[in-house]
Amino acid sequence: MAWVRRLHADLDEPPEVVGGKAHGLVLLHRLGLPVPQGFVVTTAACRAFLRDGRLPRGLAEELAAQVTAPVVSVRSGAAVSMPGMMNTILNLHRTPEALETAVQSVFSSWNTPRARTYRAVHGIPHDLGTAVVVQDMVFGDRDQHSGSGVAFSRDPGTGEKRPFGEVLFGHQGDDVVSGRELTSPLSAVQQEPVVWQGLLDAFDRIEQHHRDACYVEFTFESGTLWLLQVRPGRFTGAAAVRLATDLVDEGLIDRAEALRRVAPSHLRHVRTPRIAPGADVVARGLGVCPGVATGRVALTAGEAVRLAPDGPVVLVRPETSPEDISGLAAATGVLTARGGPASHAAVVARSMSKPAVVGVADLVVGAGAATVGGREIRAGELVTVDGTSGEVALGRAAVVTGVADGCLERLLGWADEVSGERSDRPEEERLAAARAVLGIG
Amino acid sequence: MSQVLHALRCVGSSGVTRVAAFTGLDEAAAESELIDLAVAGFVTHHTGFGGWALTDAGREADAGNTSAELETAGGRDALTGPFDDFLVLNPELLDLCTAWQVRSVDGVTTANDHTDPAYDHRVLGLFADFHERASVVIKALAAVLPRFGRYESRLAGALTRAQTGELAFLADDLASYHVIWAELHEDLLATLGIQRWRG
Repeated sequence: MAWVRRLHADLDEPPEVVGGKAHGLVLLHRLGLPVPQGFVVTTAACRAFLRDGRLPRGLAEELAAQVTAPVVSVRSGAAVSMPGMMNTILNLHRTPEALETAVQSVFSSWNTPRARTYRAVHGIPHDLGTAVVVQDMVFGDRDQHSGSGVAFSRDPGTGEKRPFGEVLFGHQGDDVVSGRELTSPLSAVQQEPVVWQGLLDAFDRIEQHHRDACYVEFTFESGTLWLLQVRPGRFTGAAAVRLATDLVDEGLIDRAEALRRVAPSHLRHVRTPRIAPGADVVARGLGVCPGVATGRVALTAGEAVRLAPDGPVVLVRPETSPEDISGLAAATGVLTARGGPASHAAVVARSMSKPAVVGVADLVVGAGAATVGGREIRAGELVTVDGTSGEVALGRAAVVTGVADGCLERLLGWADEVSGERSDRPEEERLAAARAVLGIG
Repeated sequence: MSQVLHALRCVGSSGVTRVAAFTGLDEAAAESELIDLAVAGFVTHHTGFGGWALTDAGREADAGNTSAELETAGGRDALTGPFDDFLVLNPELLDLCTAWQVRSVDGVTTANDHTDPAYDHRVLGLFADFHERASVVIKALAAVLPRFGRYESRLAGALTRAQTGELAFLADDLASYHVIWAELHEDLLATLGIQRWRG
């Protein structure tokens, strides 16, 4: 096969050829984890398509020769992650023509103006092309024992060793990340004990392999777990510090590796205020401007302007429009039902450095009150938002800064041992000195 | 139709400065018209934050004005194509504003402190490239309703200010490229009578 590779444990091709997604799926095969069968069309085929404006000679025959289920998923997967920039086609009823058209549509999506701009911003070359992963469709919407979710093996906010993520029973994966549907915390998967056990087992094996926390996307169909994507967790800030020291304690990495994993720049984010454990957290959205804000709820921009002279206000909106700018200017924090990291609300909140949480799917803003997490918050009541974790808590939540359990002090202690320097200096310098000795940039 | 009334619909409650910027009127002329509109019951002045806001009657009057204007200009269908093109550009512009405000440093999303001229130069260049494509779409909108043409010059003005060192004029000021773009978005929704959100 010139353009197509079967996904299985013995496939030995780098992400440059098969893309990061397929590379991860091969790892899952090697670890003996459940992956829907499928194949990948290489980035070389994409480059040929982009050059010639048609699928390369022979690809159609290779596609036709692949055995799959009647219904497949067709997903992009470049060597470098470009989340949300390219096409995904689910539930494709496979005919030769439909499959060729789907592959072409994913290849073409490499070159949309938005994708080109994304690459230019992030310094990703335009000539890499994307691979296309074709897999048997597994149906998260099959029945009440089916669903889809995304999960980290540990809490990406704190680094704590407990699975973290969200799940949506009775839905396919694209609904989980759309923000349109109300997801449940990952722990709800415990309703399906076999799936839950499978997930914990997968976390163990993947963590042992990567010697790091991991992130997976999964679907379960009639009580059977399938993994659709995997990557290392890439924790930052306080979570990175906690994770690195825990991994040392678990014997997965040594101290030098821990110092390698935490960049000095992470320490700048360790001290960002966060909602303390034990708060009355009713929802979790996406934190898009770090910091904690507690204030009285204002449901319109006008209300925010009116309330602000008497104390801090949190503006609560479905999403923001220009009308809300005056309200945002008056508020100390903002909470919206819609929006992602690059939404109007996020851009405006960052421009004013206001802690902001967006994309709280079950937030409904009414005339005199909002409901969130099944609880009612009336205008004028206190609410707290955490623009790092995305948490929303009722009342005035306590705030913490820094890492629990002395993890940071331990890490810096190891740094001092390496550098042999124990004078009083900023934390970032202590870490940087050790990394210099270890030859890390 | 009254551009001043429509300004408050697109900009939201605001002081006379933003109304003047939106319409191209000088502030005295804008204020004079705002006072006339207040007498007619279409706008009110809030002493609290020193700004002007639409009344329900004003919002209704503006909706009537824009829909009559659109009928005369050939109806909704004439705007549909360029509006779809706008919707394709919109997420890219928000990506660019985000890239201007924050960047990934060692995997951490970190405020762009504008100390890396190469990065800023790259993003500014991408804004300029984006603006060329946005201009094409705005010209198509203006071919149907000429008042949309003002957005092109306002956006170009914000871009020029950013290019000449006033870095806040891309995403971090009330007269920034992002805010003007958001006004254009709101204007299109208002003109086409599309709800931004339901429920």
